[in-house]
Order: sequence, then C-alpha cells, then structure tokens
Amino acid sequence: MFKTSIKRAATLAAAAGLAVTASLGVAQAEYPEKPITMVIPLGAGGSHDLNARVITSIIPQYLDQAMIVRLTPGSGGQKGTQEVAKAPADGYTLLFTHNYIDMLQQHVENLPYDPMEDFIPIARVNYAPAGVVVRADSPYQTFEDLVTAAKENPNAIRMSHSGNWGAFFVPAAQIMKARDFSLNLVPYKGGGPSMQALLAGDSDVTMGFPSTLGSLLDAGEIRVLATAGAERMFEDVPTLAEVGVEGDIGFMHRVVLAPKGTPDDVVAKLTEAFNALVEDKTFNRMMSRLNETIDLIDGDGYQVMRQEQDLAYKDLVNELTSQ
Amino acid sequence: MLDQFLAGFAMAMRLDTFVLMGAGLFGGMLVGALPGFTTLMAMAILLPISFFLDPIVGIPFLLGVYKGGIFGGSIPAILVSMPGTGAAVATSRDGYALTKQGKSRKALDMALFSSVFGDTASDIFTIFMIFPIAYLVMQFGPPELFAVLLLSLVIIAATSGSSPVKSLIMMAVGLWLSFIGTDPLGGVERFTFGLFDLKSGIPLLPMLIGVFAIPEIAAVVIRNEKVQQLAALMGERLTRKEFKASFRTICRSTVIGTGIGIIPGLGQVVAAMMGYSAAKNASDQPETFGEGNLEGVAAAEAANNAVNGPTMVPLLTLGIPGDNVTAILLGAFVAQGLRPGPQLFEEQGATVFAILIAMVFANLMFLAIGYLSIPFFSRLVRIKTSVLVPVVIMFAFAGAYVFRSDTFDLLMLVAFGVFGLIAKAGKFDVMPMVMGFILGPPMEYAFGQTIAMGNGTTLAFLFDERLAALGILTATPVIGFLLWRRMRSVPSE
Repeated sequence: MFKTSIKRAATLAAAAGLAVTASLGVAQAEYPEKPITMVIPLGAGGSHDLNARVITSIIPQYLDQAMIVRLTPGSGGQKGTQEVAKAPADGYTLLFTHNYIDMLQQHVENLPYDPMEDFIPIARVNYAPAGVVVRADSPYQTFEDLVTAAKENPNAIRMSHSGNWGAFFVPAAQIMKARDFSLNLVPYKGGGPSMQALLAGDSDVTMGFPSTLGSLLDAGEIRVLATAGAERMFEDVPTLAEVGVEGDIGFMHRVVLAPKGTPDDVVAKLTEAFNALVEDKTFNRMMSRLNETIDLIDGDGYQVMRQEQDLAYKDLVNELTSQ
Repeated sequence: MLDQFLAGFAMAMRLDTFVLMGAGLFGGMLVGALPGFTTLMAMAILLPISFFLDPIVGIPFLLGVYKGGIFGGSIPAILVSMPGTGAAVATSRDGYALTKQGKSRKALDMALFSSVFGDTASDIFTIFMIFPIAYLVMQFGPPELFAVLLLSLVIIAATSGSSPVKSLIMMAVGLWLSFIGTDPLGGVERFTFGLFDLKSGIPLLPMLIGVFAIPEIAAVVIRNEKVQQLAALMGERLTRKEFKASFRTICRSTVIGTGIGIIPGLGQVVAAMMGYSAAKNASDQPETFGEGNLEGVAAAEAANNAVNGPTMVPLLTLGIPGDNVTAILLGAFVAQGLRPGPQLFEEQGATVFAILIAMVFANLMFLAIGYLSIPFFSRLVRIKTSVLVPVVIMFAFAGAYVFRSDTFDLLMLVAFGVFGLIAKAGKFDVMPMVMGFILGPPMEYAFGQTIAMGNGTTLAFLFDERLAALGILTATPVIGFLLWRRMRSVPSE
C-alpha cells in the first residue's frame, strides 16, 4: 500500500519532470500561438454546428487562443475530413466529426484517406442516444409488437430515417440484424424531416435524439419503444439491450480528431483544455439548454471504442451489401 | 389567445429589441451583399451572441440578420448581375437590365418595397393562420414534393426567354450537371471520372457567378457597353406610379410565395421563379420581361420573401426545423429555454407572439434602413468602368472561392464563365439550366423517396395513398402545353 503510493508519487514526479523539460524545449513557441481551426465536415445549422458554436465560444479561455469553426460540407463528410487529413499535424487544424463519418464510411466506399492511419482522437465530447419512436396512435404499443408485426409482413412497415448510412440508418440496420426482421427504410434529409414524416403519417416508425423527443413526448404526439444506452432514458421504456440488441448501437459520438503525428505536448494541452471545458459552468448550462449531454472520454479511451466500431461496422456493411 | 397576443405585443415593445434588430438587419444586409458569404454563415457565427441575450432581444436579432441577408443578396444581383444565391437569380435578370439602362436605384427601391411587402403580408398571414398552416404542412410528403418540383421545372422551361426547345435543352444540361457527384440516395459516384473534387458535385456559387456575372463583365469590356454614361440618371427613385403599376404583381407573388413556403422543401428559389413566371404570363407584354421590367424585380423579390413566414410554422408548432436557417433558430430557441414544439404556445404563448410581432416590426424597420442605404449602394455603379470592372472581377473570384475555400471552384467559375459566353452568343437562356441544376437534386431525392415508400409498387402506391400527387403529375403536361402556346403567340427574342 505504502509502497505503491511512493511508486505513484515517483511516477508523477518523473512525469512532471518530463513535462517541464518538454515545455522548456518548446518554450519559444508554445502551442497554441495562433488561432486553432476546427473543421466540421457537415453543413450549417445541424446539431454538430450548434455543439461546436458552444465549444468554441468557451474553450478559448482555457487555450488562450481563439478556436474558429470552419464548415466544410460535402460528400457525406468526406470533403472536410480529407481537408484535415491533409493538414499539417501541428494541432492548428482539428476535425469535429461523429462515429459514422469517422469509422463507417471506409467500409462503404473508397476514401481518399484512411481514418485509422490518418487520425488520432483528442476527445469525445458527448454522445446522443437514439430512441425508436412511433406515433401515439400507432398500433405498436411495445418494441415487441413492432418486431412481431415486421416479422409477419417483412418490408411493409415504413421507417423514415435521416439518410443512408447515417445516424439512424445504421442503428436501424443493426437492430434489424440483431432481431432478424426487416422494415422498409425510407431516407429523408436529416432527422427533422424524418420526424415530420412520422407525424404526418408518411412513415410508421422513426428514430430521434432526446433533444427532439422531449417536447413531442410531453405533448403526447409520440411513443418511445426503446432507447439506446445502458440506463433507461424514460422510466417505462426499455433500453435496446433489454429488448435483445446488445452493443455500442444507436449512439452518435461527437468527437474531436487531429491528424496523426500531432506532437504529444499539443495533444496533452488540448486534452487539458477539454477537461477544463467540461467543468466550466457556462458550458454546462449552455449544453443542457441545448438538451445535450456532456460525457468526456479522452483520446486513448475513445481509440479503443473506435477500434470496436471499425470491426462492428465492417461486419454490418458486409452483411448489408452482400444481399 | 387574444390576451397572449396582446401580452406578446407589449413584450416586443422594447428599445433594446429594436436596436439589436436594427443592427442585425444592417449587418445581415452587408453580409448578404458580399458574394460568397451566405446569410446562413452569418447567422451561425452570430448565434452564440443570442445565447447571452434575452429571448425577446436575441431571436429578433437573428431574424434581423436573416431578413437583411436575403435583401442584401439582391444588391449585387441588380448592380453587377452577380446573384449570390439561387433566390436572387430571378431578380438579377430584370434588375441588371435596369442597371444597364441607368435605373439601378429604381430597381433597388422596387426590390426593397416588394420584399418588405411580401415579407410583412406573409408574416401577418402566418400569425393568424398558424394552426391551419401547420395542418397543411403535414399534407406534403415526398410524392407531392416531386410533383410540384416537376411542375415548376415545366413552367420555367415554358416561360423562359429563349425558345421552348432551347430552354428544354438547357434545362436538360442543368439536370445532367446536377447528377455529377455522389448520388444523394445510394451513395454511388456518377460522372466523376474518379476525381475527388467532383465527388461532392458541382458547386452552385461558381456556376451562378460564372454564367450570370462573367458574360456581363465581358460585355462591358469587349463591346465597351457604356454603363457609366447613364450615371446621371441614377439618382431617380421609384415613383408612386411605378409601384402602383406593379402592385398587382406584388400581391400575386406574395400569395405564390406564401403558398410555396407552406410546402416543406421547396423554398425561396422556386418561389422567386414561380412569382416571376406568373407575372410574365399575366403581363400584356411578356416580351419586356428580362429587358428591364420593374415588374420582374417586384415579382421575384415579393415571392422569395413571402416564403419566410410559413417556414417558421413547423419550427414553432412541432419543434422541427425545415431548413438550415430554422435549424439555427431552433438552437437559439432552446438555448433560451424555449422549447419549440406542440406545447410552446401553451407554455410560452406570449413570448412566441412577441417574436412573431417583432418579425413584422423588423420588416418595417428594414424599410427605413434599406431606403436610407440604397443611395450609397447605387452609387457603386457610378464608379468608373476602368475601376469597377477589376473590382467586380475580384469579387467574382473571391466570392466563388470563399464559400468552400477550394481552388477547384475557381476553375469551375472560369469554365462556367466561358459556358455563359457561348450560351449568350447562341441566344440560349441560362436560366433554365441553373434552375434545372438547383431543383434537380431535391426532385431526384423526392423521386427516390417515393419509389422507396412504394416499395416496388410505385403506381399502385400513388393510386392508393397519394391521389393529390398523381393529380398534379397528370395536370403537368397540360399546364406546360397551355403556357407554351401562350408564350409562342408573342414574339420572343
């Protein structure tokens, strides 16, 4: 006991010493000495954009430099991602993306970059768990009702989602694979139109993130059948795991990546800033107003999750495209 | 309901609301006037400011940026034939023709008055009809959207400047250009020849600037078109008589724009074009459209602004943003603790009415701000040609570049500039091409969705569930033929 704490103290001292020498080494040009650009490979006004606006308006306090958002939409996120992959690995160009762009697309098409080889994660800022939703007047009272009906009439139940290979399409495919049923998947341009299709009766099922579900649920317009996540989001609604769909399914992870080869001290500085950010009161207040969670995972922790996603998505895409 | 409305009225009457709304309007106008900068970008950047303001101040501020930006886009469209957005394309046609005749100030005045009228009328309509509109919005799904987009394209082709055959050729070119890139539904690459730059498709802005601005710049340089000699006439403002003469057109466009605003997914581009086509069709002298008819400017501007009111409805009644602009507003709402959705009116009725009323006042304020600043903008044309041309060229290239910061877009700009010159020499109207290019992707998407919804039995699906869409599809060829016959009976260029 005593020994281990001495050991820990020694390691800490050594680490501190290293940090000091490292900082001496770059004393003349300490990162960051100019504004940092955060590229979002998506369009203006989406949830990533909103999250980024909050992050970049508060994180400068902890970096002593401005952080600028640059929206580079195109090719389902590939344009912006490629731009950062090509950028110098100096910590001045970061990517704010999500797991489906990051780890899924490589299995669907040929990319001009290799996400595992070209990027390292800096932080997972938060995640959004998806819920499976029907209209309040739907005949499906429970998730099992839906599965039973879908098994009786394969492809007859319409599910609207936010776009092929997107944040609702992938979990839908994973759920269908796990429970062996099939729905008629109809793409819409984003989560909003997809929810509107449900409310208008154009589709029978859809998915949504908590930020959009809350007010519709309170108004009695929709019913949630199951939600992603280890814990129940709503008291009387089962989680996906409880209905037989296990694994990292139905989450959109919002992550900050940097080009591979970014110096360790830069990564450390950024990690430190994100750690301080999630403790910031204003940040917490603004994110909760946007109905967003805050659940920071550091780069190393998220790298493990990326590797798992990589394998899971590879299997999923192989299965879907081999049919 | 009425007490909430009155409470909202009282809430909106605050000095700081008006001051910030004015700042938003002016800032939005400046940003909108710079080609390459979109209103959307300005709103996204300014969004965090609104987080720290009171809801009755912060949201009108953003709305000000939005409204100012839309009008701002018509300034370069009128003065230098450089539409920064699809919505300003129809305006640039008659607007720039008027500038060449030395009537830029009249054109800008007309754009301002008709914008403000269209916007105000549609906002007031929205305030009183919000629940019926919310019901109507729900009636439009992908099949209806497809049918309406197809009908719009047919109307544009039938009423454009050149002969119907030439228009159809150009529209086909535009539709084909819109196919280049990744297929929006399946993710398959089309006509990219393996070039990554083409994967995300051809960018709109370099095309707009290329086909509309470059040929006009070339005309000034090559043929030495004397724009500046008419500068003496520039000072004349729009007369009451001219406004009255266009008033019917403005009202018609307002109705069209409001109607199009109700259909989710259509937006300002379609509204402006439909308003313009309807005005041309109703006119006794359709041949004057495109040659500098004030009614053309009025028709396009009233229609594209009238879209604004109804687009707020899905956001306010369901909490669902229909486009990126309303998505940013949604962010501003929730950050303020207002949760748009079915209960917003019960919980926060007065605040919502205050915001809607502030929208109406924003229009009136904008009338004043715009009227006072137009003389400064229209002075731009008085700059000597030897100075103006290089500056416009610089803005053309900067505008094409800044949108995506991609040098590939500069090549596109030059290519479309050359294309525009050739088309002009062959008397091909580029408008149908641009419209085919802009409306092609949403139409294709809606088509794909319709096929997916029918799950292999499209026709049966339409007969069973979607008679309205089927009706529009059936009527489309008839409407197209009637318009074509009418347009053929008048001499075209």
